[in-house]
Amino acid sequence: MFILKQQISVIIKHQEKIASPEIIQSRYEDLGYICSHSVATSIYLACHLQKPILIEGPPGVGKTELAKVTATYLNAPLIRMQCYEGLDESKALYEWKYGKQLLYTQVLKEQLGDVLRGARGLDESIARLHDFGDIFYSQEFLEPRPLLQALQSEDGAVLLIDEIDKADQEFEAFLLELLSDYQVSIPEIGTVKAVSTPIVMLTSNNTRELGDALKRRCLHLYIPFPDAALENRILATQVEGLDSQLREQIVALIGKLRDMPLKKSPAVSETIDWARALLLLNVEELDSHWVKETLNLLLKFQDDIELVEPEIKALLKGLR
Amino acid sequence: MRFVADFIGALREAGLQVSPAESLDALKAIKLLGLESRQTSKTVLALTLVKRQADQVIYEELFDLYFAGVGKTKASNKELNKGSNKEADKSESESSDNPLETKNNPHSSQADMSDGEGMQTSPSSSLGQALGKNKDMSLAITQAAIDEKLSSIVLFTQKNYFAYKIMQRLGDEALSAEIRSQANSLEHKNSLEHKRKQRELVKARARLLDQVKDYVEQQYGIFAQHKGLKYREEYLQQAKLSQLDRIDYKLMQRLVQRAARKLASQHSRKRLTRKRGQLDVRKTIAANAAFDGALFHTRWKATRIERPKIVAICDVSGSVSRVARFLLLFLYSMQDVMPKVRSFIFASEMIEVTELFKQQGIELALEEIMKRWGGLSTDYGKALAGFQSQALAGIDKKTTVIMLGDARNNQGDGRTDIWEKVFRQSKRVLWLNPEQRNSWDSGDSIMSEYSPWCSSVEPCRNLKDIERIFSRLLKHS
Repeated sequence: MFILKQQISVIIKHQEKIASPEIIQSRYEDLGYICSHSVATSIYLACHLQKPILIEGPPGVGKTELAKVTATYLNAPLIRMQCYEGLDESKALYEWKYGKQLLYTQVLKEQLGDVLRGARGLDESIARLHDFGDIFYSQEFLEPRPLLQALQSEDGAVLLIDEIDKADQEFEAFLLELLSDYQVSIPEIGTVKAVSTPIVMLTSNNTRELGDALKRRCLHLYIPFPDAALENRILATQVEGLDSQLREQIVALIGKLRDMPLKKSPAVSETIDWARALLLLNVEELDSHWVKETLNLLLKFQDDIELVEPEIKALLKGLR
Repeated sequence: MRFVADFIGALREAGLQVSPAESLDALKAIKLLGLESRQTSKTVLALTLVKRQADQVIYEELFDLYFAGVGKTKASNKELNKGSNKEADKSESESSDNPLETKNNPHSSQADMSDGEGMQTSPSSSLGQALGKNKDMSLAITQAAIDEKLSSIVLFTQKNYFAYKIMQRLGDEALSAEIRSQANSLEHKNSLEHKRKQRELVKARARLLDQVKDYVEQQYGIFAQHKGLKYREEYLQQAKLSQLDRIDYKLMQRLVQRAARKLASQHSRKRLTRKRGQLDVRKTIAANAAFDGALFHTRWKATRIERPKIVAICDVSGSVSRVARFLLLFLYSMQDVMPKVRSFIFASEMIEVTELFKQQGIELALEEIMKRWGGLSTDYGKALAGFQSQALAGIDKKTTVIMLGDARNNQGDGRTDIWEKVFRQSKRVLWLNPEQRNSWDSGDSIMSEYSPWCSSVEPCRNLKDIERIFSRLLKHS
């Protein structure tokens, strides 16, 4: 088998954990994250090719969850950066510790006398000053933000850049250096390279089209709504004590709802919430009364609820 | 690996933008996971090559076509192989184990072909020998197809030509000659054994021809289908929007969106320019920390230049409606760089459709608008009066007003006074006219009455025009 020359430390530590997509798939299942084969394959490739993954898909299919599980699985810290409009490098990458820098100049001033004592002429003073060393802009005064933290992490980390589509396009361009070479440039210090390459995951809800340059640097994983069998298994692991027949009914009903022209289709997380609620209410079988009562857990728009409510009976009939 | 490279070529033909870097990723990934499992390869290639959700469909179609070919030859090999001798079996399994790998050295199959010479009563042409041994011809066919540049196929009429050429390259001439000579030679005519052999040879040739034709068909599907589309797209770029067939609407919509996206990404980076605004205290302290806190340098908060605020007014009557359709589509496909768009449509009444677009999605809404208002007669005067009451107050010095119309007012009062107000209040007024310049002011067109109150009046007849106009609009904002 082809093995990359520069392995990252996360991988050396956990070589056996990521030996094949199948292993990843089954171990994730043990951790309570049921994923399809293509999801497991993408994690496998991300580790071995050292490529960031760009995860797209409708909200609530477990994009963020995937990063969390990966971090748990690899025993690596999860560093999360939520994107929003106006996010810039001083919030994402680094910031100087201004207060300490000010104090440093105060201290410096007091020491100045000692340093310059006995110096003859301006030239010598300046020469001495140069020898004194300048730590004003140095690691000492650097306050690392998520991106830098991820690069400095000794044992590698899982870096989650959440909802990249919410950030400005300028920020997207700024990320390119990090994504392709795992390094960032800080003007005052120079280039900071990753101590050990982090596993980077970006999520997007597709509120805007991402740039081609960004996409080119990433593996592209699209997570759709799960099919009935997969969703059934997800429910089985997430909601314990749920009757298997009820579970099937829930999954079938959700599947039908997703086929309807809704503003927002119910996501996996909503399915889970709903199942939990039904369990709490001791519902043994789906009937139109209970569905009507709990519909607001599934549908988040009044328009959708109004659309679905008259159809409930017909929908339920199809289940039996 | 050649397979993957070819496949990427086919993807590019189909309009997917696959960069060399992505190709390399795909190759590395395939090296890691192998090509044995069809499902895995499909996932792996999709992960590395397909970056846009819209491209997924094309990818899957092409992938299935591509792998179907590979699967088929495998299956037919097995069938042919039944009952043949052990040695052939062995060589067969060697070659079919991994048909993709063996494509790397097609010459080996040629070498194999010639070693059948020792066989008694074997056909004399090398192709005949190969067929006689029930050899897997798919490799040879692939090689011949490469030599004949089958991937350059464009039209379906070329299919037979290529099939013929490939057969020739495989050595069909010699084989046919042999079959003919066997049929004619008297000496063999009575020998049953020879008759049987000859029949077999003819059958084998027919089978080979079928295989070649299948292969050409499959390759046509991969390479040519989308080429045809490309030609069509090139034509549509120049075509007059007002004379577009309904059939082309779908394709045109895709083109419009692609053009808009291109423009949006080109201009999105120009949007942010810095201007002196409020003092940024945090940055100022940071910048002056080296001076013991004495504030030498000031740092200012970057202020964003307003993204262009656009009010679009579209005449949806008669022939203008078709152009309006694409203009609106274009406008809304650029929401990334132009989020503040208000749109109005009119025939005789002015109607704001901004909300409708938001709720229904642009394509559905357009259908509905065209159905309800398209084709009514125009009254610019009444419509502008409506515009005055609805939107005039919202127009300020940051607003660009785009009017799409032919200014054919059916002899009514044009209310140019309102248009003058619009012009004075706004940053800029663009009038796009779907007719060509020399028909302006002919008949009931009152273009010249409006044009003094427009920053510019331009013909807008095809997609290229729309693209040019918006590109300029973004540059100046």
